[in-house]
Amino acid sequence: MSIISRNVFKVLLRASPNVAARTIHTTAPNATLADLPDSRVNATLIPGDGVGPELVYAVQEVFKAAGVPVDFESYFFSEVNPTLSAPLEKVAASIAKNRVCLKGILATPDYSHTGELQTLNMKLRNELDLYANVVHVKSLPGVRSRHTNVDCVIIREQTEGEYSALEHETVKGVVECLKIVTAQKSQRIAKFAFDYATKNKRKKVTAVHKANIMKLGDGLFLRSCEAMAKLYPKIEFERMIVDNCTMQMVSNPQQFDVMVTPNLYGNIVDNLASGLVGGAGVVAGASYSADCVVFEPGARHTFSEAVGKNVANPTAMLLCSAKLLNHVNLPGYGEMIRNAVNKVLHDGKVRTKDIGGQSNTQEFTYAVIYNLQPLQKPTQ
Amino acid sequence: MAARILSKRGLDIKLRDLGCNLVALQNKNVVRTAASAAQATLSDFEIQHKQPLVKKTTPIPIALYGGRHAVTMLPGGGIGPELMGYVKQVFKYAGAPVDFELVDIDPKSDETNDLEYAITSIKRNGVCLKGNIETRSESTGVQSRNVAIRNELDLYVNVLHCHSYPGVPARQSNIDIIIIRQNTEGEYAMLEHESVDGVVESMKVVTQSNSERVARFAFEYARRNNRKKVTTIHKANIMKLSDGLFLETSRKIAKEYPDIEHNDMIIDNCCMQLVSNPHQFDVMIMTNLYGTIVSNVVCGLVGGAGLLSGKNYGDHYAMFEPGTRNTGTAIAGKNIANPIAMLSASIDMLDHLGHKQHSELISDALRKTICEEKIHTPDLGGTATSTEVVQRVIDHILQADIRAW
Repeated sequence: MSIISRNVFKVLLRASPNVAARTIHTTAPNATLADLPDSRVNATLIPGDGVGPELVYAVQEVFKAAGVPVDFESYFFSEVNPTLSAPLEKVAASIAKNRVCLKGILATPDYSHTGELQTLNMKLRNELDLYANVVHVKSLPGVRSRHTNVDCVIIREQTEGEYSALEHETVKGVVECLKIVTAQKSQRIAKFAFDYATKNKRKKVTAVHKANIMKLGDGLFLRSCEAMAKLYPKIEFERMIVDNCTMQMVSNPQQFDVMVTPNLYGNIVDNLASGLVGGAGVVAGASYSADCVVFEPGARHTFSEAVGKNVANPTAMLLCSAKLLNHVNLPGYGEMIRNAVNKVLHDGKVRTKDIGGQSNTQEFTYAVIYNLQPLQKPTQ
Repeated sequence: MAARILSKRGLDIKLRDLGCNLVALQNKNVVRTAASAAQATLSDFEIQHKQPLVKKTTPIPIALYGGRHAVTMLPGGGIGPELMGYVKQVFKYAGAPVDFELVDIDPKSDETNDLEYAITSIKRNGVCLKGNIETRSESTGVQSRNVAIRNELDLYVNVLHCHSYPGVPARQSNIDIIIIRQNTEGEYAMLEHESVDGVVESMKVVTQSNSERVARFAFEYARRNNRKKVTTIHKANIMKLSDGLFLETSRKIAKEYPDIEHNDMIIDNCCMQLVSNPHQFDVMIMTNLYGTIVSNVVCGLVGGAGLLSGKNYGDHYAMFEPGTRNTGTAIAGKNIANPIAMLSASIDMLDHLGHKQHSELISDALRKTICEEKIHTPDLGGTATSTEVVQRVIDHILQADIRAW
């Protein structure tokens, strides 16, 4: 079954770009175009901890059924299981080479085996300079939640701020934790947010801060955003204090468009916003550096209590993979997977437990595969 | 000079003001308030003499995220919008990792808002793909938009790689000349005034700093691209001081590059040599006005305005456009405009951004279409329409199927 459907999809998808191209004039199609050589895209795969491997398996099943020309280089990468984990350098080199990565969530223990303060996640981000985390929080069809029509993008700086891993005990019983804010990185993330808004035709950017208390640190972040806003006269800019922002988020989330935040606030707002639209299992995210992108679920939750129970929701990971396909210029496949997921959610017959259903991970995955439909025309 | 006009309005949107010293800022603000209150009180002379030609700007990080670049697209007038449409089509099928930010400039209005936005956009993105922008107004206060963009971004050098396409009918074959042109001063300084009734003076400005930058760029370019000879084009026998300075400066810089041969030639002789024996030239450097003349002459030799692409570079920004700056209003909408110039400008842009694989993919497809299959638009003596040429290029790209995203 899967072999047949794979080939059918492949032929249709290969043919479809030509269909669109033909529309710009009316001469007969070139016959030699039918037999194209097969070239494939490489991507790094980090299953992560908790239910990550199960979700990644769901993605691979769907890719196989859809005939997606992507090869994964898979690495076991984990902080809670350091002896089995692939070395950081190797994983980072693979991501730098492939420029795209699909990643599950890494569990972060509360204590450190080695006494280091940096977590593995932070090390990977610093190694690759994955400075911008983008989480697109959007209400999904058929997922019941407190709010409808939420559509906001949270952009988080994730290489400095509270996550600088600079903590020390100066006197016994007194611990200092340094929060680092630099003008360069603040400007960079502000520019990223405004460029993202420009590219995606968004109207407003909200800077989330606590500059009334941290006048210098968050003040610098806020001033960098304000300065950058002047270069984008067509995009509205507003600022909001983080406590007020969280309140507004739960009472009236529709007011937000693009939000730009420092590290810790971003982490909190990400998870809060994910909760508004259906939880950790349905929100996709991505981390950008200048050269590569790591696609990972938006809310950082490993769901380790569900390991092996076949109950986790693969929606977030599937949407991540669709974004990955869009990024590597395979938008036809990306759209196909996204449509299938939306259809399954919309029909509501197959739902995992976290969104009020009775089905398991495998059933959901098969429902998505069953609903895969090749597009008539590539949408880009 | 355009900057002078721009600076009177909307000063606050410019990045350099962020880092500028406070005194200058306040002064400018005073000028702005005065200007917005009484625009007409500044004479043309005052408008022209307020700011230096060489701009110092604070670099902004370029827009590159996850391997994708954002690039400003200014379609301009005439055939510009059609050609940009073809570029987008081709990029889509080649999978070029570039997102265009489209900025339209209204040619009829005297307002500079659109222009300012376009310039800000280029500053943000660092790179621009541009058609020729029309400036219909003839009042002295309104600048040519093209010149304004070049001056405001300090794109001090224009590089035109003139090479023959085998298979394209042309007066001369096997031409391979690089024309490097000073792009912001000289005759285009646009300092003109009527000193006495009936006597108009137009100033040609040559500065040592700008001449030096251009000459250094030319020799560096020659060295990087394994070129053997640089020729300075001038008229120093008549304009002994201005062109003399340009010539002297290039001679001085030439001494630092002993591996590259340097000679000079007077502009009138140069034009004659170009049409009789163009193969003697390798890299040429010249001032602004000579540059526009020489580049049009060479374009004519290799097959017309629709073939070549030009590159404009400053210290922080780069702008890519068709080589000869014609809007082609007469053939707009007729589906006969030659898409090659704009496509090769986009190839130059991909090269500049470091997407070698994509630029090679597109240029291979273009070469096969133009040189091997000889699918030409009417300006090259062919019968194909623009879309047919573009379609053939896309076919070749799909056939190569190098999925280089």
